Amino acid sequence: MLLYYGQVITVTAARFGPWLVATASGGEAGEHSGGHEGGAPHLPNLVSLLTGGHGPVNEWVNVIFALAVALFMVIVAMSVYRKRQMIPGPFQNAIEMMVEGMYNFIYSILGNDTKKYLPFLGTLFFYILINNWIGMIPLGHSPSTSLSITASLAILVFLYAQWTGIQRLGIGSYLHHLAGSPVDVIGWCMVPLMFPVHVIGELAKPFSLSLRLFGNITGEDTLIAVFVGLGIAILAFSPVGIPLQLPFYFLGLLLSTIQALVFTLLSTIYILMMLPHEEHAH
Amino acid sequence: MDYQATLALAAPLAVGLAAIGSGLGIGKAVGAAMEAIGRQPEAAGKIQTAMIIGAAFIEALTIYVFIVFILASGKIGN
Repeated sequence: MLLYYGQVITVTAARFGPWLVATASGGEAGEHSGGHEGGAPHLPNLVSLLTGGHGPVNEWVNVIFALAVALFMVIVAMSVYRKRQMIPGPFQNAIEMMVEGMYNFIYSILGNDTKKYLPFLGTLFFYILINNWIGMIPLGHSPSTSLSITASLAILVFLYAQWTGIQRLGIGSYLHHLAGSPVDVIGWCMVPLMFPVHVIGELAKPFSLSLRLFGNITGEDTLIAVFVGLGIAILAFSPVGIPLQLPFYFLGLLLSTIQALVFTLLSTIYILMMLPHEEHAH
Repeated sequence: MDYQATLALAAPLAVGLAAIGSGLGIGKAVGAAMEAIGRQPEAAGKIQTAMIIGAAFIEALTIYVFIVFILASGKIGN
């Protein structure tokens, strides 16, 4: 147990940089860090630190962090909304800038329907972004490294897109759209072939969405964890570690943003494909 | 070679092979996008959006292999 805490402190200190390591415990703890318990290495987080890495709470890490992110977002949004002013302060200004940027981004795809779908898509983007980024702060853990979290987000997008289709097109046109929008005799003959293809295509979307986000964030966090372990293993004789993972934080920041963007972008396009087409004739 | 050795050889190799394909694909996509932006800089935003979508689809293939690798690596060395 003591060894575990020593290892946790060393690993955490290595994330901050060598200057904090004066407080870290004994040297040989470093040799065992970097996730040696089989499977992909992962860094300790706040929950595994408090519970010692065992116990039932430890299986809820992803849920705890996902709820914490949601709570954080709610608190930020509420505090901005409650104290909103005509002439915004710096905090309100920053939030307004993010919302406006999101609006402009989605407006370039959805056009006049943006206002209706902005709340869902914007929340999705910022939620995924913070979910990805929280794994990079010390003692944080990215909920996106759990397939359950990304799959639930993707299923939400899937259901929302289908519901949008049924609501905006009507049930008849929705089925017509799923059948490949046949117009002539050849089109109607192709329906038995096209309908299953479109249904499978719709069902494949949440799979690819969730696997993409999960794989990218897992890969990135594993990479950082491996280099933390390497940085400690190099100087295993001393309690000091080298922050070898530092360059990969920038890569991680970039990848996290791109993945959140791609998830939102694809969700937007799935919703766009369900909207009536004549409104979007260019 | 026994089962373990085969798995330990094949799983990382699969990721590498998938990365070659994805690298070529993304290189081609980004190269074409850069060319298009150079030819028509005012359409940079639209080209970038389309490029990111395409790159996401290409790179998803590597990610699928990576997930297979994670599944397979759990069975190595027990």
